[in-house]
Amino acid sequence: MDEIEPRLKGLMLAGLAGEAGPYRRLLDELSGLLRAYYGRRCPPGLDAEDLVQETLIAVHTRRATYDAGQPFTAWAYAIARYKLIDALRRGRSHLRAPAEEADALFASLGAAGGAEAAMAARDLERVMADLPARTRQLIRETKVEGLSTREAAENHGMTESAVKVAIHRGLKALGGRYADPGQGGSG
Amino acid sequence: MNTDDLIASLSADLPRIAPGAAARRVALGLGLGALGSAVVMLAWLGPRPDLAQAVATPMFWMKFGYAAITGLILALLLTRLSKPAARLGALAAVAAIPFAIVVAMALMRYAQAPSEAHRAMLMGHSSMLCPWRIVAIGLPLLVGAVWAVRGLAPTRLWAAGMTAGACAGALGAAVYAIACNETSAPFLAIWYTLGMALVAALGAVAGSRLLRWR
Repeated sequence: MDEIEPRLKGLMLAGLAGEAGPYRRLLDELSGLLRAYYGRRCPPGLDAEDLVQETLIAVHTRRATYDAGQPFTAWAYAIARYKLIDALRRGRSHLRAPAEEADALFASLGAAGGAEAAMAARDLERVMADLPARTRQLIRETKVEGLSTREAAENHGMTESAVKVAIHRGLKALGGRYADPGQGGSG
Repeated sequence: MNTDDLIASLSADLPRIAPGAAARRVALGLGLGALGSAVVMLAWLGPRPDLAQAVATPMFWMKFGYAAITGLILALLLTRLSKPAARLGALAAVAAIPFAIVVAMALMRYAQAPSEAHRAMLMGHSSMLCPWRIVAIGLPLLVGAVWAVRGLAPTRLWAAGMTAGACAGALGAAVYAIACNETSAPFLAIWYTLGMALVAALGAVAGSRLLRWR
């Protein structure tokens, strides 16, 4: 802990100052720590990697709550603990499906040509039907039309963070629908 | 989306975060809430008619000061409770100091007064209204506090909710002090405090649900 804490704190402070490189190293290293944390604690039925991702999102979107006077690891683990409790409270269904499956769909959408791509695009619209309209629009813009998150954020008057989180959760909900059509993730 | 992609996405185009952003958000929520509370107080009760003379009396400032200072200390505490793993330190105890002072003054005044004045000191003429008025006037402040805290990262939801309620109740009581013409310290110690405590209870119950964030 003696070494980890000052290093991560330094990276976090650089990240708060807007330095993307150190911030990315921070999230990388933190994801390893979180994997170990949830690996020990994650009960059956919850996906540990999803908790890691939820916690990284929370660390990112709520980073204004980190005080330079405070140990970084204590702050990050308090968020990790909150996320675990929150997931248990919500029930286990919504964290079942990793978002990778939906990503695979988009990969096939890009790789396939002609009729196959058209069919994939139609499938996509069908499975996205239950997502909130704005999330659907954001996914279409960034994953199909190829806009950057910044451009999409400007189109919708949202912050980039909010766009990234909305897309991530939308994809996760899609993944859930694919994995188990009976119960789409509603989170 | 795998975790590496997520990290790449989150760390791309990283804006700078100004220090003190959390405290500013709490201040904004409470400030807008106080505005709403003042509108409720003015439209519903109006300022006490003798306000111009009242501001020259110590009792007005004792009422206003008790509520406002308690509210400001609780606002600091609320900011800390909006941050994961923040230390509360002695602040929770400090929040009780204005109450302790008001109770001490109330006991002193009560002991000095002739016994036939005791009932009027304790009950005033509005004891059955005062706590409920504080609740009603505190509600916009509670809404502002919950909005602010929800957007941060509270991890102790009951404590954050109760503190949001207590803070809204105390600042609401300060707004109410502009309309209220009670003049006894025992009245203040009992009925103002009860009004704040009611909003605190409301905050604890509602807050533990409303403050959940993702």
